[in-house]
Amino acid sequence: MKLNQLLIATFVGAQFAVAALADDATNNSTEAAEIAALKQEIQKLDQKVSDLETEHQAAQPATASSDNAQIQDLDQKVKILERQRELDQDAATAAAKTRPLVKLDASGFTFSSADTNFVIGLHGLIQFDSRSFFNEPGIKQGSDNFLLRKARPILTGTVFHDFDFNFTPDFGGSSPVIYDAYVNYRYNPELQLEAGKFKSPVGLELLQSDSWLFFNERTLANNLVPNRDYGAELHGDLFGGVAGYAAGVFDGAPDYSTPSSNQDYDNRLAFAGRVFIQPFKKSSLTALQGFGFGVGGSDENDQNSVSGLTAGYKTDGQQTFFTYSAAAVANGDHWRISPQGYYYYGPFGLLGEYVISDQNVTSGAKALDLQNTAWEISGGWVLTGENDSYNGVTPKHPFDPRNGQWGAWQVVARYADLNVDNQANNTTFAPAGSALRASGWSVGINWYLNRNIRLNASFSRTTFGDIVGAASAVTKQPENVLFTRIQLAF
Amino acid sequence: MKTFLKILLASSLAISAGAKEIKLLNVSYDPTRELYTEYNATFAKYWKEKSGDDVVISQSHGGSGKQAQSVIAGLEADVVTLALSYDIDAISQQAKILPADWQKRLPNNSTPYTSTIVFLVRKGNPKGIKDWDDLVKPKISVVVPNPKTSGGARWAYLAAYAFALETYGHDDAKAKGFITKLYKNVPILDSGARGSTITFAQRGIGDVLLAWENEAHLALKEFGDDKFEIVTPPLSILAEPPVTVVDKNAKRHGTTEVATAYLNYLYSDEGQEIAAKNFYRPRNQDIAAKYAANFTQLKLVTVDQEFGGWAKAQQIHFADGGTFDQIYQP
Repeated sequence: MKLNQLLIATFVGAQFAVAALADDATNNSTEAAEIAALKQEIQKLDQKVSDLETEHQAAQPATASSDNAQIQDLDQKVKILERQRELDQDAATAAAKTRPLVKLDASGFTFSSADTNFVIGLHGLIQFDSRSFFNEPGIKQGSDNFLLRKARPILTGTVFHDFDFNFTPDFGGSSPVIYDAYVNYRYNPELQLEAGKFKSPVGLELLQSDSWLFFNERTLANNLVPNRDYGAELHGDLFGGVAGYAAGVFDGAPDYSTPSSNQDYDNRLAFAGRVFIQPFKKSSLTALQGFGFGVGGSDENDQNSVSGLTAGYKTDGQQTFFTYSAAAVANGDHWRISPQGYYYYGPFGLLGEYVISDQNVTSGAKALDLQNTAWEISGGWVLTGENDSYNGVTPKHPFDPRNGQWGAWQVVARYADLNVDNQANNTTFAPAGSALRASGWSVGINWYLNRNIRLNASFSRTTFGDIVGAASAVTKQPENVLFTRIQLAF
Repeated sequence: MKTFLKILLASSLAISAGAKEIKLLNVSYDPTRELYTEYNATFAKYWKEKSGDDVVISQSHGGSGKQAQSVIAGLEADVVTLALSYDIDAISQQAKILPADWQKRLPNNSTPYTSTIVFLVRKGNPKGIKDWDDLVKPKISVVVPNPKTSGGARWAYLAAYAFALETYGHDDAKAKGFITKLYKNVPILDSGARGSTITFAQRGIGDVLLAWENEAHLALKEFGDDKFEIVTPPLSILAEPPVTVVDKNAKRHGTTEVATAYLNYLYSDEGQEIAAKNFYRPRNQDIAAKYAANFTQLKLVTVDQEFGGWAKAQQIHFADGGTFDQIYQP
């Protein structure tokens, strides 16, 4: 533009100059010379303008070409970034298929392979208790103490979808003990095979998880059922869980005690089994859906086996009130039967069982068929309205005082009675001080802060009767115990 | 006549009643999809006529190294048709599901066809790429898969390295310098050959794709020879993709006989024709001559000649900490 203006101005000026000169053409020769000079100047200017125009046009393609190259370069970079993102997403998707899954919730830690062929769960149970005994003056019975009642890391898992396992040691006692170590194969819910060390399928309260008992300790009736045993059982849930069964062969366990060694000294196997039915579980009668009943039993034959006899029946405060004499051995058939049942409806829970433990016992030259019996009934009411169940209470409003949430509260009570066969009321079969009868009642309150933390306090009183000879420090007076517990379960 | 027809009918029914369905899994490397789609149909027809049985062949494709690892991890291949013998050796050594001397069981070291690495460029070859040393020039963008996962990528790497060795009088340091410059021009690494083809041909990234010869031809066919053209360098590597039965898997599946026949058929005239049609260089010289127009003549060097064999090449160049790890920084 400026060039054009310059050109026009130059030419116009030149024209005026030429015109002025032309008007005075007749003047003299110097004017002609000036005109010639001006013409030369005009030609030079004209050439300069041409050169400038040529330069300008030459510059424009180079600029365009450089812009194009930049655009292409940027285009490539964008495409590379997009493609890299695609590849990263593909790689992430492929990696996700092999990445292990980790879950952490109220039921513990669970680790699973991406294909879920390997699943491991880490759970735990810690129970920190206190016991305070209230004795009559001058009679020392029981020790007031704090104790770590249970400290169990619980390792569970499933391999290849159908094989479950459980390994549970307990560090709460004076020495570590392996409580559970078993593998369970699930062909389907109706047919499963379990083998290893696990709870014998007899007692209802025994089979309930330690985490969800009404009270700190199980009842007197629990003294007569086998605890954990070594063996294998077939078991399953039928008709969608309406009925359940278990039947197995085991080493054989004395009343309550868990076999402390891995060997079965009497070379005889024991049979144990249980059937339990919840007939209304699938019905529309909601008030009866939580009703269940069944029967468990066992049979074994001991042969002069000291280990076949109970190490002693214990009170709620875990004091031994009955043992067999040192000379007594289990010798002959030992059978048990336990009709049992429970009922849960809303906040109400009720559990009861009756146990007969009939055992042939020999002491010296004398042999007796002793039939010991026990029964118990336990119940609870969740004051805050949550549902009670065989598997515990889950608070609707976990403890959070800043938001006015106080967890779940439950009051509980129970009564239990145990009777040793009166034939044992002599020092041939039971040492002096052993009580052949014990009756106990308990009341308490449970506070479920959340599904994992529970506090409780309870009071138990056990009275004794039919004492062999002179009463011992344990059986001389009723046992009165105040329990507290802090429990962590996950 | 009636009796004859009855006998014929009865025989047919008997054959039909006795005919069984056999399933084979062929775990292959990335670019062989089209080859085995056509080959499998032909073999199935052949086997039906021969034995009366139906054979259903499933395919799995991916980077050769990755595929080998999948088989080692438990993928139940009846046969493997991978990009290089090293990957099959790895299966033999780590999974122990086929013998160490597998390569001797079929002709030509169990390689029924060969291939090589060529350049696929944009139509008109705007960057004037003619040979390997054009790939290291500034502003040249090269697309090639990851040699850690792709057999084709390892062939391409070795082809470039072989060029450098030939050019620089087998001076390894200079060859390493050359390959370093080449991979500096690589903007992205796909896991397999097919992914690189997508990157170059569909996503429009790069100036040149270092491709299996068959893959380059397929790209022309699929995307149009008005968009791309093949440049065959004067020198490249003789790629020998091997095949073998995976003995333990085939035995467990009861497919040994048909798996062996499946691979043997690759050497038949029909198999060699299918290979040639799909731009694999057939071993059969008559069929190679018939399809000579598909294949440019060039100097082909082997892994054994230039690198002392696959085991050595893998160890030096592609193992963790090898030359590739040293020269390539993503």
